[in-house]
This record gives sequence, C-alpha cells and structure tokens, in this order.
Amino acid sequence: MRRYLFNRLWQSLVTLVLATIVVFAGVRALPGDPALALAGEDRDPESLRAIRQQYGLDQSWLVQFWQFVSHAARGDLGQSIRTGAPVRSMIASALPVTIELSVLAIFIASLVGIGTGVLAAVRRGGPAEWAANGLALLGLSVPHFWLGLMAILYLSVALGLFPASGFVPFFSNPVDNLHHLILPALILGTGLAAVIMRQTRSSMLDALSADYIRTAEAKGLPPKAVVGKHALRNSLIVVVTIVGLQLGALISGAVVTERIFALPGFGKLTVDAVFQRDYPVIQAVVLVTATAYIVINLLVDLLYSVIDPRIRVRGEA
Amino acid sequence: MTRRLLPSLNRFIPGSGLRVAGPIAAVVALALAGTACSPVQPAGNDNNSGGGGQTTAGQDVFGDPAKADQVKQGGTLTVALSADPDKLDPTLSRSLYSRYVFHTMCEKLYDLGSDAKVVPQLATALPTISSDGLSLTIPLKEGVKFADGGTFDSNAVKISLNRHLTLAGSARKSELGPITSIETPDPKTVVIKLSKPFAPLTAALADRAGMVLSPAAVAKLSANFSSAPVCVGPFKFASRVAQNSIKVVKDPLYYDADKVHLDAIEYRIITDSSIRSANLKSGDAQVADSLSTQDAPTLQKDSSVSVLQSQSLGYQGLTINIANGNGIGNPLKPLTTPIAKDPKVRQALALSIDRDALVKSIFNGLNTVACSPISPKSQFTSDAAQVCPPHDPAKAKQLLQEAGVSTPYKVTMITSNNPDSLRLAQALQAMVKEGGFDLVIKPIEYASLLDQQDRGDFELLQLGWSGRVDPDANIYNFVATTGSQNVSGYSSPEVDKLLTDARQSTDQAQRVKLYGDVVTKLQQDDPIIYMYRQRNLTGVSQKVQGIQVYPDGVIRTAFAGFTK
Repeated sequence: MRRYLFNRLWQSLVTLVLATIVVFAGVRALPGDPALALAGEDRDPESLRAIRQQYGLDQSWLVQFWQFVSHAARGDLGQSIRTGAPVRSMIASALPVTIELSVLAIFIASLVGIGTGVLAAVRRGGPAEWAANGLALLGLSVPHFWLGLMAILYLSVALGLFPASGFVPFFSNPVDNLHHLILPALILGTGLAAVIMRQTRSSMLDALSADYIRTAEAKGLPPKAVVGKHALRNSLIVVVTIVGLQLGALISGAVVTERIFALPGFGKLTVDAVFQRDYPVIQAVVLVTATAYIVINLLVDLLYSVIDPRIRVRGEA
Repeated sequence: MTRRLLPSLNRFIPGSGLRVAGPIAAVVALALAGTACSPVQPAGNDNNSGGGGQTTAGQDVFGDPAKADQVKQGGTLTVALSADPDKLDPTLSRSLYSRYVFHTMCEKLYDLGSDAKVVPQLATALPTISSDGLSLTIPLKEGVKFADGGTFDSNAVKISLNRHLTLAGSARKSELGPITSIETPDPKTVVIKLSKPFAPLTAALADRAGMVLSPAAVAKLSANFSSAPVCVGPFKFASRVAQNSIKVVKDPLYYDADKVHLDAIEYRIITDSSIRSANLKSGDAQVADSLSTQDAPTLQKDSSVSVLQSQSLGYQGLTINIANGNGIGNPLKPLTTPIAKDPKVRQALALSIDRDALVKSIFNGLNTVACSPISPKSQFTSDAAQVCPPHDPAKAKQLLQEAGVSTPYKVTMITSNNPDSLRLAQALQAMVKEGGFDLVIKPIEYASLLDQQDRGDFELLQLGWSGRVDPDANIYNFVATTGSQNVSGYSSPEVDKLLTDARQSTDQAQRVKLYGDVVTKLQQDDPIIYMYRQRNLTGVSQKVQGIQVYPDGVIRTAFAGFTK
C-alpha cells in the first residue's frame, strides 16, 4: 500500500509540473501579450516596453517560469497585470462562488433528474416517460447561453421573480445569496439533470427487472417500498458515480453561466484573464485547478484501492 | 459547453499513462476555451457616435441634470458596464471604462462640456498661455479636500503631473507633451513650462492627465495606488471584486457634497449587450453603457427606459497596410501588393463603400457617416474636413483598370470577431463587390488582432478609435510617419509638416485650416478609409434622473439621484 501511495504521489507531482509547463507555454504561444491587451487601442511603443519591463515579460521564458514557480512554491501567486490586485485574493474570493454555484446546481439537478428518471422507469411506455425523455433531450441540446438569456428575459424581466445579475455573499445575507444563485444554478444544472435522468431511468429499468425486486414483490411489499427502498437505492450507486464524472463539465458550464449572470466566480475569472492575457492570473488559476483535480483523483483512486483490494495488489506488482 | 464524459474517465484505469494527459487536457481546455468566445474589449464598442453634420438619423440626447426637488437622497445606483476597467490609477490606466469610474472619484483640472468644449473643474479658469506658447498658468480652486482629508493645492498638482511624466509604464506621458518643468509660485497657481508649444495639452488636462492624486496616498501606495485610489471627487473608492464589480461611496469631504444625492454607485461588469439590456429592463441595473444598435430601437420604445445618445469624437474605418512590413516601431518597409503601392486602388476601395447604406442597414441609422478623422461636432471642423467622396462603384472599377489591376481584385481584411464587427464586414464584402473587389474576411479575437496589427501582418484591417477632444490625438499618432500607432506605415512629408504645424500652433483658426488640409491630403492617399462614427448609446432607467453622456463618451453619474 505504501508503495502504491508513493507511486500515485509521484505521478501526481509529474502531472502538476507538466500542467504548469504546458499552460505557461500555452498562454505565451497565444498571439498578443498582457501589455498589448492592457494598452488596447491606446498603445505607444514606449509604454508597451515599460509595461513589459515592469512585469518581467521582456525576460526569457525560462527566467519567467522560474520566477513563477519559485514564488508559487512560497505561496505567492503574484499580482494581476490588469488590475494590480493580488492573484491569491482574487482566487480566494472567486472559488467559493463557483463551489456554491456548483453544489446548488448538483442539488437541483439531482432532485429533478432522479425524480423524473424514476417516474420514466416506473411509468415505462406512458406519456410520463415521453415527457421525461423529451425534457432530457432538451436539457442536453439547448446551450446554457441561450437558456440563461431566456431565463433572464422571462423570469427576471417579465415576471421579476429573480435578479438578473449580481451576487451577495452567503454570510452577509443567506436569503439574498440563494435568491441570486437559484436561477444560475438552475441553468447550470439543466445538462446534468438530463444526464442523471437518463442514467436513473436505465438503472431503474435494470433494477426493476432484477430477481430481488421480484422477490420483494412476491413478499407482498407495497410498490412504493419496492421502488424506493430496493430499486432506487441500488440504482443510485451508478448515478452517484456519473455525478462525480460530470463535475468537469459542470465547471466548464460555470464559465458561461457566470458570465451571463455577472457572478464573480472562478470560471469568469479564468476566461476574462485569457482574453486580457493576464498571465499571472491564468497560471495561478490553472495551478489551482490542476492541484484540485489531482487531489480529487488521488483521493478517489485511494478510495478504490481500499474498496477493491485487487487494485492495491496490481499497484504493488 | 461540452457534456461528454470528460477525460476524468481515465481514473478508472489505475496506473495508466493516460492519467497524466487527462488533467492537463482539462485544465488547458478550461484556460484556453475563452479564445473562441467574443472579446472583452470589442473594437466596435469603445465609443459610439451619432448626430451631427452628416447625420441621417436621430440627434444627440445628452440627458439633463437632476432637479434637486425631484430626487430623493440616498440609494445605490447600479451601472452595467460592458468591460472591466483596468487599473484604477490615473497615471497607468488605459481603458476607456476606467474613465467612467474615475469621473465619480477623481476630478480633473478641466472637464468637457456637452458642446465638447473644455471647462474648468479643479481649476478656476482656462489656462493662460504665454505668447510664445511655452508656459501655461493654471489657477486652482481653494478649500478643496482629498477624500483622505489632505488639502488640494498646487503642490499636489505638481506631484501628480510629475508622476504622470515619470512613473514606469505611465500612459499619460505622451499625452502631456514636451513639459520641462512644473512650478508652484503659490498654493493656488501652477505653471507648466514646455520646450515646444503643445496645443493639445489643455484638452489632455481635461482627461486622465489632469486628474490630481492625493499626495499622501501616492507616498503610501506608490505604484500600487490602484489598490486604494484617493483623489478629489463626489465619491470615493470603496471596493473592487476583480472582473466583476467596483463600488464607490459618497465622499462627505467633497467641496460640492450638497449636490450629491446618491449614497453609492456600483459598477457591475456585464460584457454581453443583450444581457446588459435585460438587466436594465429588469431593474437590476439603472444604467447600461454601449447598447447595441440592434437593441436600442426596442429600448427606445420601452417607457421605463430612456436611451441617451452622443456622437463619438472618434471614427471607425479601414486601415490599409502600405509600408508596415517590419512591424510598428521599426523602419518602414513598403508592401508590394497593388493596394499598398497604388493610391488609385485605395481610392477605388473608398469609392466602393456606400457609407449611407452601411449606416442605415447595419446600425439602424444610429451611427453616422464619416469621411475624415475630424468629427463635425469638433471645434476644429471645417468644410474641407467634412468633404465626403460619393459612392461611385463605376469610377472605382475605372480606377482599378487605370491601376492595371484585374478584377475582381482579392483583398483580405482582418476584423474583430464580435457580432457587430462581423455584420459590418459582411455588408462591406457585398458592397465592394460592385466596385471590383473580392473582400475576404478573417475574424480574429481582439488581443490577437492588436498583435497582428502591430506586427504588420495584414493587408486590410477594420478597427476604430474612440476619439479625443483635440484632433491631434485623433490624427497624429495614426498617420504621421513617426506616429506611435501608424500601423498603415503611411509616410507623407506634407502631412507630417501640416500636423506638426497644427500641433505647435496656438491660433485656433490656423489649426482648423491646417487640419482641413490634412484631410484633403488623406483622402487622396487613403491610408485609412474613414467610414462612420459610432454613437454612444446609454440606457437609463426612468427611476433615476441626472445621468448624462457627453461627447467624450464618459457617462456622468455622480450627480444623479433616484426620482421621488
């Protein structure tokens, strides 16, 4: 087990270093640089030179890379070239917004997805299944951007039910916070709800035709208990795995949702930083994302190895 | 957004080599995904225009000041901004959007009136200029306090101007011209000494170069002034959430605090114009800048919203690469393409463009036709500056024939990839066909476009300039041989001389004549084909009063208030 752990940690470190190098080189390979993006239409060569000098952009990539890595190792992620704000505090304020948005989106998606999935499986062949399938198809095929715009037009502008933009931190006013986040979370959760619905439906169909369900029915259990206690509980294992796998898609969806609803989240921070070629922000964002991704992967793998000893054995071989 | 099962699937293959590729692919995709979307600072949205001499549609609507008896005290105004301002430091700031915020918290020596004329703000009168044009004396207001309680005086002005001139990366240095020294004979007088006369200086002091920073804050924060900026203004900086919002709150120390009705102003960054409009309609924002000409007509019919309009002092046009073969800042290298070599080909392209039809069909008649860099609203306009060659595709074909170019003549144009620019490019493509041109469109993301432009990697380029009060700032840098943004690589000793003379003349009538001559020459050589002037379209909720927009494109919100 110790050797397996050592191997995994080693692999993680290599992944992190590679991710850092690829992104460091990747953003610099994009046409334009922070000085140009910062100057916009108002450029003169002298001040462009001064900006490049000030942020060390005139130095070799190797020097710039070393500076970034050595500072990052000490926990200093640098300053945003565009706004001058410390990158660490930018990330610290953006990350909770995206996490809250994603958790809320998963909650809403699970509620809707599992509910309609069970209904579609139990009422197989009926109008309920058709409706649920139709909704799932829509959820998967309609882009977030369009859906968000429609939601703003109808639910915010016409009915005035939700705010169209803005964010209130949870701890300053929880009710206002939820009021601002429900609509974005609903939009973000549509795709996930559709995936969960389809997965729940197919797992439930499998479960409902299984022997243990027949046994439960033969024992004289009421249909509610058969579906809820036996079939659904067994189907949920796969559904939970799927939710985990969809996390990546959820974060990329958050990029669009946060821009539409002007939420100060991680996705918006990343995309805006790319447009503005704000190298320190892009690098730091990627470093944090990669670290989170690797840590989660590592934990999941360790968990698997605990559950399934065969993995542990293979790792040690 | 993709909903495929991401590369994270490889976590099911323990020990697989794919494990390394998965996370990298995911994070790189996340980081680079943005380049496919629309730019943060679209070319066409910096500044809009309208009205004026050649206007075919509506007139300017600047908005009215708030009536004190009709507005209530207090409240937070939310302004939906189309792009995130850059550093909130008047010395370093370059983005147009930072001027919206500065206007509420950093007053200037001079301001601009609705007639585009310079008026005193922290000064008490226009500068007295010595007969040789080498000395400007500026009288200052007394009894003015900075937001940190410091006293505003000539020494503070001197510190700010020196900072603008010397701080590394200053965006103000070139605007201030050849200043040799700043003298402070007494606390309420500043004297600026120049090595050469520099007529655009007064107008520059009506923009960021004229903003006065608190000496205490400058001493404390140095180059990090933007983290907690302090100036003289109706409001003072409160907080900023990067790329999302900026908040300013009422400053009780402001010399005219009685005229300030609002408690606070929040600038919320919403880059999509349809969503800005939706926020305005839903009441989540009371002001929205840079409305699309597509959305404006609908909003104009909405009784809960009014649309302010002001004609830009800038222009939108086509820049032709004549001799920018080495990249900007390097020696000129003439290109060998027919359009670069022969002015007749460029004239033919100019004649192929039906500016009237363009403005009507693409911009709902809200923008106005432009044939020169000088706005008809400018104090420096003249008949010569407003001459407009008519749309004449037959003559265009004839000119192409004379130039020995076979038609259709293929030219490639790079343009920003935002929807407005693409619509314009497609209309142009259809239009110039009749004149014998086959226009190929290459849409590019904004920062990449700037890069290609500066490297000289283009044949034809569609981009504009948001405009400044003094015409020198709208012409010199773009067409003078040594101009810092002469991306066309144009070089004409005649134009250079006219522009230098105009820059150094203190006689307004002479400057008007010189700029007229510049336009005449530019229309023969066509390094830039001027097409139209944008109109600043600002949506304002009827719930507020006192929002105004002037020709400099800055939305004035400081003295607004919620209607009782």
